[in-house]
Amino acid sequence: MEKIAVLVEHRQNEVRDITFEMLTKAHQLVGDGGEVIALFLGDVSQKGLLDKITPHAHRTIAYLDTALAQYEPLRYLAAFVKIFETVDCQLILMGQTAFGMDFAPAVATKWEIPFTTDVVDIQDEDGVVAVRQMYSGKVNAKVSLKGGEKQLCTVRAGAFPADDLPTVSGELQEISGAVEGDFSARTFVEYLEAAVGDVDITQADIIVSVGRGIKDADNISIAQELADALGGVVACSRPVADKKWLPKERQVGTSGKTVKPKVYIALGISGAFQHQAGMKGANTIIAVNKDPKAPIFSIAHYGIVDDLFKVVPALTEKVKELRG
Amino acid sequence: MEELEQPLAERLDLFTCIQCGKCTGGCPISIKSPLNIRRVIRESVVREDMRVFFDRLEIWDCTTCSTCAIRCPRGLRPVDAIIGLREMMIEEGRIEKTIIDALDGAYKYGNPWGRAKNKRAEWAQGMEIPNALEMDPGQVLYFVCCAASYDPRVQFVAKSLVHVLRAAHVSFGILGNKEVCCGSEIRRMGEVGLFEMLMEENMKNFTKIDPKTIVTTSPHCMNALKNEYEDLGCEVLHYSQFVWGLIQEGKLFFNTEVPMKVTYHDPCYLGKQNGVFEEPREVLRSIPGIELIEFGRCRENSLCCEGGGGRMWMEGTGVGRRLSEIRVEDALEMGVEAIITACPFCLLTLEDAVKTTGNEEKIRVIDLMELASMGLGVEPEVEQ
Amino acid sequence: MDIIVCIKRVPETAEADLVIDESKKGIDTDGLVFSINEWDNYAVEAAIQLKEAEGGKITVISVGPEENNEVLRRALAMGADEALRLTDPAFEGSDAYAMAKILAAAIKDIPYDLILTGVQADDDGFGAVGVVLAQMLGLPHAALVTEIKKEGDVITVHRELEGGLEEVDTLKLPALLTIQTGINEPRYVSIMGIRRVAKKEIGVKGVADLGLSQDEVGEKGSMSRIEELFFPPVGEGAEIIEGTMDEKTEALVRILKERGGMA
Repeated sequence: MEKIAVLVEHRQNEVRDITFEMLTKAHQLVGDGGEVIALFLGDVSQKGLLDKITPHAHRTIAYLDTALAQYEPLRYLAAFVKIFETVDCQLILMGQTAFGMDFAPAVATKWEIPFTTDVVDIQDEDGVVAVRQMYSGKVNAKVSLKGGEKQLCTVRAGAFPADDLPTVSGELQEISGAVEGDFSARTFVEYLEAAVGDVDITQADIIVSVGRGIKDADNISIAQELADALGGVVACSRPVADKKWLPKERQVGTSGKTVKPKVYIALGISGAFQHQAGMKGANTIIAVNKDPKAPIFSIAHYGIVDDLFKVVPALTEKVKELRG
Repeated sequence: MEELEQPLAERLDLFTCIQCGKCTGGCPISIKSPLNIRRVIRESVVREDMRVFFDRLEIWDCTTCSTCAIRCPRGLRPVDAIIGLREMMIEEGRIEKTIIDALDGAYKYGNPWGRAKNKRAEWAQGMEIPNALEMDPGQVLYFVCCAASYDPRVQFVAKSLVHVLRAAHVSFGILGNKEVCCGSEIRRMGEVGLFEMLMEENMKNFTKIDPKTIVTTSPHCMNALKNEYEDLGCEVLHYSQFVWGLIQEGKLFFNTEVPMKVTYHDPCYLGKQNGVFEEPREVLRSIPGIELIEFGRCRENSLCCEGGGGRMWMEGTGVGRRLSEIRVEDALEMGVEAIITACPFCLLTLEDAVKTTGNEEKIRVIDLMELASMGLGVEPEVEQ
Repeated sequence: MDIIVCIKRVPETAEADLVIDESKKGIDTDGLVFSINEWDNYAVEAAIQLKEAEGGKITVISVGPEENNEVLRRALAMGADEALRLTDPAFEGSDAYAMAKILAAAIKDIPYDLILTGVQADDDGFGAVGVVLAQMLGLPHAALVTEIKKEGDVITVHRELEGGLEEVDTLKLPALLTIQTGINEPRYVSIMGIRRVAKKEIGVKGVADLGLSQDEVGEKGSMSRIEELFFPPVGEGAEIIEGTMDEKTEALVRILKERGGMA
């Protein structure tokens, strides 16, 4: 692959981290002779964001038009007509994010671009061969894309760390011409911030988090007791929030909060990727789970393979003893 | 929602209720829950549209201990009205998530905890218990129970019972991974169709095995198999009945002294509902060293532990003390070292109450078979 | 408002021990419990709630073998009106793109105002069929929907973004939405309820009935192909603490103290 295009993801005047992760991987794949192209859709007021992008792509193609001020799939699809007229590449990368999941399959279908999603690795074997996870993250799949002048992959957030993102002298190319069409079929109204509740888990140093293994809303009290004894707060994984056993603001994960506490204790949490993404930055991760094969153990620092209903009360007891 | 064919009041003949209130008077839940069973009966008779009940979460507080049915001077079974209402709510589909999970678990995995079928007999690993399906007809089938199969605490009860049966040279087998939930609690939660499915599956195996006796760990299983399944053509006994029989026949003798001051908690499904009061006590009295002190509320008046009627999967709306905690505190006042019981749900809820009241150093909860094991000199594998 | 819901029958794998089969392109499904894909269950419930509020007809469609009748019947018992199963050996090996082609071919004969799919499936987690299908049918779409409100010919939806942020959008009908978990509380379906719809006919269509050629579906009609399944490498992973409960909790307390876990 000599040319790889990365669609910049930005929202509320910030470029999202996934963009830099994709750029890093793109550089890695094209190697020294290739070209990494950043694609930016937005309007003139967002031009400032380009300063963060242009140093990291050989070429940045910016389509700035008032019609693109706010993401709507119909608008971006219309813009892509011009993008594809302007730019050539073998691979396009987008994030497997709320934006990417809403947009990428539509692009792939409209232009019949072979694609796969949520990849955690990409190889160039005369066409993309990607690795993606299946079956609750327990099994990986090697997927190949067939044919096509271009191919597309959506990338899992965090799969390609952006630590070694190269800086190159990149040129900026602007696309001109209005984006035209009838976009009334879907209209953006507004963003809604999450309700600010009583506890901001992102500020906590110590988090005791519960997952499906807690079995019942009432059992959460044992986690609360431990959290109280340690001076921390209680959080949870998605299934617990979905069941409304804890308010959504306590949810850790891609669709919840990202936390970086000193200590994260995961109780009865299997460690599905979406959850991992929200807490793997924690300094010390301690996992308690009956299943020795639970994915959480691959990112935890310490693990106990046992019944949390036995471990937690015993641990709380010990902590209370220590504190006197 | 379609109306059930026959209105509840007609189906259960609730028109003969004289509203005396003995049912509510004896209902253990009435201490802490807004559930008023007398009023429920009244409303079932008077109302045309039963849908008002669908928002009344207290309908799920009932433990189905059946004290109301025992006390009713008209011979009515108010508890069946609760179950009937639950049947309607099940059809409507709007029930608590934990109940849905329990029912889904029983449907998909054969146990309300949704644990893997192929792990059901893991407790018996290394014990070389014969497969009942390969036994000759006319033997004893030990029907283990979901709780005894999967719950780590209750697994000790199953193991203890195996020790006891072997000490008496009883030839028995288990269904292993083919055993599915007896359906007792499923039926009490109102899922008639699922209960029938589970019953059919168990009965297919019972027919193949053709046992002389089915012995159960749990009074709930015993009650379902004996009173609610189609005629099995064999006797169904709770282990306390079977073991007392072995003692009487001289096949079982406790040679080890177990010096302990204990009390015995009558499980509702064993005592109140099936009249089995004496056999567990006889077994207790046969163990040397045991001093039995009775609860004030014992036998028919035993205080329900709140484990039955699906309560293992719902905490209930009541805000008062857990009945199991009251029970533990009563036992402490009596100065006993342990509460002995003969039902997995009682064991779990009472032990839980010992922990939540902070009395782990002061009192234990021990199953009758664990005690019997001790009386045989077999050290129980209970953890410290 | 007439609604079509696309549902998938998937194995429950979260608690199971998985084995990769001989072909190395699939898993051994022996002994696995199958049920409706969790996201699709929320979608069916969402459709029924809309029907209860607005009236209309719900059709559920599933691509797969005869066993898929289980999930279709369950949806009927929940409150769907019609069920259609798309079954053909030619469909095997279809990726999201081919799958959407199959669904589009069936849907073109059914009147609808709204199509719902789940955001993704429990088994492959691909998360694209809905949006691909919308593009093929020329419908406006919204993915990751957590709330739906209808006002006349327009629906207002909430989309779940990252970090607790939500996006509010309006769409003109007909439209397609992919439904996120937690949007509602799916009702329980009783065995008796399922029995009551046992006699209800489930339509069945194969590749020819849909006017598709063999090359348009299955592996031939797909854009991507699974080459091989393998177990992820076991990383260094956690240091597992062993011992008696006492020893384990002692060790934990030490770690907590050292690592700032005791405020």
